[in-house]
Amino acid sequence: MPLKNTANEWGSISKALHWLVVALILAMAWIGLTMGDLPNGPDKIATYALHKSIGISILALVVLRLGWRLYAGAPHAVAGTPGWQERIASLTHWALYALLLAMPISGWVLNSSSGFPLQWFGLFNVPAITGKDEGLHELAEQAHELLFWILVALVVAHAAAAFYHHLFQRDATLARMLPRGWLRTNPPDGDA
Amino acid sequence: MPRHALALALALALFTAPAFAVDYVQSTGSSLVFAGKYQGEVFTGKFPGFATRLSFDPKQLATARLEVAIPLATATTSNADYDGELRGNAFFNSTKFPKATYSASKFRALGGNRYAADGTLSLRGVDKPVTLEFTWTPGAKPVLAGKASVKRLDFGVGGGDWADTTLIPDAIAISTRVVFAPL
Repeated sequence: MPLKNTANEWGSISKALHWLVVALILAMAWIGLTMGDLPNGPDKIATYALHKSIGISILALVVLRLGWRLYAGAPHAVAGTPGWQERIASLTHWALYALLLAMPISGWVLNSSSGFPLQWFGLFNVPAITGKDEGLHELAEQAHELLFWILVALVVAHAAAAFYHHLFQRDATLARMLPRGWLRTNPPDGDA
Repeated sequence: MPRHALALALALALFTAPAFAVDYVQSTGSSLVFAGKYQGEVFTGKFPGFATRLSFDPKQLATARLEVAIPLATATTSNADYDGELRGNAFFNSTKFPKATYSASKFRALGGNRYAADGTLSLRGVDKPVTLEFTWTPGAKPVLAGKASVKRLDFGVGGGDWADTTLIPDAIAISTRVVFAPL
């Protein structure tokens, strides 16, 4: 498996970053949706601190991902994909990248504007990007939540399209984002 | 010898003068602040409405006396989320212990205009010694500027679940500047 992306498949770096971010996003969604209901106390603080630490990590990983994507490019759509589907897929991918940046940044603004510390896994402090500002805090909180639900909608569409390609088109769209050999695919002209 | 007589009279007057220190009361422009760390970041707060009484004469430290009353229900970090916890049960428990007091009657000269008061802080039902080091700037409105370090856990401030000192270290720095007016 090549490190770098080729015309027909994703390289191992893009695959690793993709699935690492998927795993972190799932963990973040679970933590983010439940942490607000925890009783006040050190456990709640530790949970928020974990959410913030993972969020900053995702921000760094997505910056890496985008850098790698711009450097290493992306495979072409599998042969036979209609142009309108290709355009929608491409649009979805870039919207996902934008959201993956906007989510942690809105969280960072939310945290900074509320005047809370931001510590990365208890190891070092990350500076605030805004001053303490109650109005901005409210705005960032709403944005963070709205962006999350848009992200959920796009992720569902993105995953549904991948399954559609795999199950109904029976092409390599999904398989080529997975470690080689995990999914058996048929040639594009497939007559399985 | 009239000059010797005068000197003797002066000396006698000095040695036998009643050892009353000058009494002061806190005036405007005074502040009592605290600082600690939370998740690696410094936070600061203040105790509005604290009140200080002082009897002090640098030449009569034996009779010096300091009394400070510190209301806890109005203590503030300027962060509403922190203040709720700070005044609540786990920290100051200000409904049960509405005020803290600091009183000192043992003073030491540290050289120059620096002094130390070895006093007792009563906070949250606990009495423990706390030393206040300060400078004394005499004048029509003398100023006491001092610092102390208080171990919050000695007084049960944020004990139990909050005792984790990696989250909030034990040492809280206290800093005060009191402008006095003669009583």
